[in-house]
Amino acid sequence: MKLRSYLMLFALATLLPIAVFAVVVGALLIESQRDTFRSAAEERTLAVLNTVEIDLKSSISTVEALAVSPALDAPELSGFRSIAASVLSTQPDWRTINLALPTGQQVMNLTRAAGDPLPFIPSEDSSVARVVQTRKPAVGDMVLGPTTKRWDFAVRVPIIRDGVIKYILSAVVDPSAVQQLLAAQQLPADWIGLVLDRNDRIVARSGAAEHVIGELASPALRGILASARSGWFSAATITSAPVYTPYRRSDTTGWTFAIGIPAHAVEQGETRAQGVLIIGLLTALALALTLAVVVGERISTPISSLAGAAKAIGQGQSPTLPSDIRVNEVHTLALALHEAERAIRERQGLMEREKEALQTADRSKDEFLAMLSHELRTPLAALTTAAHVLRVAGNDVEKAAQARGVVERQTRHMARLVEDLLDVSRVSIGKAKLQRETFDFGEVVENLIGSWHASKRFERHHISHAIAPVWIHADRTRVEQIVSNLLDNALKFTPAGRRIDVTLRHTAGEAVLQVTDEGEGLAAPAMERIFDLFAQGEQGLDQHKRGMGIGLALVKRLSEMHGGAVSASSKGPGEGATFTVRLPAIVHPPRQVERPASAQPAPARRILIIEDNDDTREMLRAALTLDGHEVVEGHDGAAGLAAAATAEPDIVLIDIGLPDIDGYEVARRLRARPSNGRVPLVALSGYGQAADLKRAFEAGFDSHLTKPVAVEELHNVIMALK
Amino acid sequence: MSKAGKRVLIVDDDADMRLSLKLALEMAGYAIEVAADGREALAIQKQRPADILITDIFMPESDGFEVIDAVRRAFPQTRIIVVSGGARLAKREYLLDAALMDVDAVLPKPFDVETLLRTLDTIQNR
Repeated sequence: MKLRSYLMLFALATLLPIAVFAVVVGALLIESQRDTFRSAAEERTLAVLNTVEIDLKSSISTVEALAVSPALDAPELSGFRSIAASVLSTQPDWRTINLALPTGQQVMNLTRAAGDPLPFIPSEDSSVARVVQTRKPAVGDMVLGPTTKRWDFAVRVPIIRDGVIKYILSAVVDPSAVQQLLAAQQLPADWIGLVLDRNDRIVARSGAAEHVIGELASPALRGILASARSGWFSAATITSAPVYTPYRRSDTTGWTFAIGIPAHAVEQGETRAQGVLIIGLLTALALALTLAVVVGERISTPISSLAGAAKAIGQGQSPTLPSDIRVNEVHTLALALHEAERAIRERQGLMEREKEALQTADRSKDEFLAMLSHELRTPLAALTTAAHVLRVAGNDVEKAAQARGVVERQTRHMARLVEDLLDVSRVSIGKAKLQRETFDFGEVVENLIGSWHASKRFERHHISHAIAPVWIHADRTRVEQIVSNLLDNALKFTPAGRRIDVTLRHTAGEAVLQVTDEGEGLAAPAMERIFDLFAQGEQGLDQHKRGMGIGLALVKRLSEMHGGAVSASSKGPGEGATFTVRLPAIVHPPRQVERPASAQPAPARRILIIEDNDDTREMLRAALTLDGHEVVEGHDGAAGLAAAATAEPDIVLIDIGLPDIDGYEVARRLRARPSNGRVPLVALSGYGQAADLKRAFEAGFDSHLTKPVAVEELHNVIMALK
Repeated sequence: MSKAGKRVLIVDDDADMRLSLKLALEMAGYAIEVAADGREALAIQKQRPADILITDIFMPESDGFEVIDAVRRAFPQTRIIVVSGGARLAKREYLLDAALMDVDAVLPKPFDVETLLRTLDTIQNR
């Protein structure tokens, strides 16, 4: 479904309850308006009826005043007649005054000459009977007057003498008086006021309506009047147009006043309210739908073009992003897409560079492995040859000594090779930890140069040096590694007889070590990569001289770990090279450095060696026996555990990589024994990393030696275990 | 077969390799000369030609190929044995093969001295 449709639905859903509410409120308002109108009309009805009654009562009072005339007690009525005539002349609305017996037989009528025969009061006028019955005045009904010959009604008062009704005095009233009264009420022009007598004959009607006076009201109206004395009904049939009719019948006179109100007058307000309501709702609806379309367009148009842009990005094309976006969220989306596109481009570039780097690294690794193979085969060849010499030397002590020299040097060389390899991998993966102390860098450099002189490593070169004391806070062993690798590098690349210059100075808070050689120098492209691990490739057959490309990589990483840096410079091939290491220097008040205690002979112990490698076991046995210890051996875990049970050693050396049970398990089992539970345990392993040490200590070892084990280290560990 | 007095020239840039090989072959009755690189080797060979040349391939200054080439031309009677740590790169193995077509034996490092001694016997008896 389209966004526009959703928005339209949303608009409709929002409008619907409002519309329902408006209709309900509108209906209530109309209802209330109609009620207000109705009660107003009913009040008006009552008011008019009251006015008419007051007028009738005023007529009754006048008749009553006349009724007390003493002339009525005279034997002749002539006296009264003249009084009555004078009263009649003051009442313009009265047509005549008559006097009748309780039977209805008139005895005097001012419209007739005295002595003329007089008629009965018409029998349909029930007022005579009522006066006789109630002995109270009454308003008569509309009758066609027997003397006036017109429709009129009478106001009758009883004349009581000695408790007996002697006469009934009546004033015959012209209904036009009521008509005028009605006109004075000023009803709206299209309203019809209607005064009816007790018999529902029309006494008066607003507007010119002479012809209906005396007529009976419509049967519908009369039907309603018969059922209730007051009320409101619609669709009356007084005239042909539909009307609303409030009406009220008087309790005292029995007369009725009704108003015919045209339906349109009542419903006009309602229709207008309904119209306003409908127009309002339609306007709101149109507005909402228009807004839904406009807003929908503003969102969906840029989104469509953004979708196109996203597709283009996916296909690797350059997308065109819409510029005219007025909805903030969509704008944000566009920005994000733009950002994503840039990130993808960057990543693609990065991936290509990484791929190239990986390929280069792969090539370098192949070269490295080839060089590693060469570098390991060379000392191995010397070692096997020397071993052969030792085997066949017999009594030739001098040759045997020379061969041992070869073995010692080459094992050291190989051990260093392996150390370097492990170091560089440890440093590369960030596992190496620095054990910093404060010392004089200059002293380290001088000592190293001194010892290399002593071991004749400089015998083919001229070494000069200018070393200043510079204090640094660093790992002494690592710093020695940096210096020896730089010297080693210089020796490798400098032909015999040339100079190598070493300087150390304190410059701007840094210790600056420089090793300058007169070797073959460096070409500019090689300079960039010379510190990369495995990166000394493609140099033809001379490559073997580069060693394995470990030394300089190690120098770089160790320098960086110390917060320093290394750089190389050369004037070009054949011009020699200068390697510069900078380490942060400190201002240090020289402190007395504690000298390590000189080696003392260890007290004799019984030591169990559990080791499956015969050579290692033999070497350890020889070294320990030389120190005066008693040695017991076990060639695997099971044999070792058995030996531990019988020999009860003071110290146990355990190889971690045993063939049957590993060294950790052997340690745990020994720890579980009552007899061997507290014997000091020393782990022997080819790995000296923190995790290995931790695991060894967790298994219950007290100390740890990394293979190949140096005799001095073995001595120190045994000394330390008391 | 007599190897007494047979002269062997050992060319290797690694001092311990030179030394240990010298010791081993001396004990086997050979007379030994040593050289640390190709240039030195050729100088010695010109003064005191050896019966057998044992040479490494990868050395500074002038490498084993140059030595072999020069000795082959100037001293065709001299037997040549190559001992090398080699390198596994295909390119270099190819070079090695090509260059070694003309030598009497090739021994990869590390080698068993007994094998070397047998090889020495064999090539002298050819």
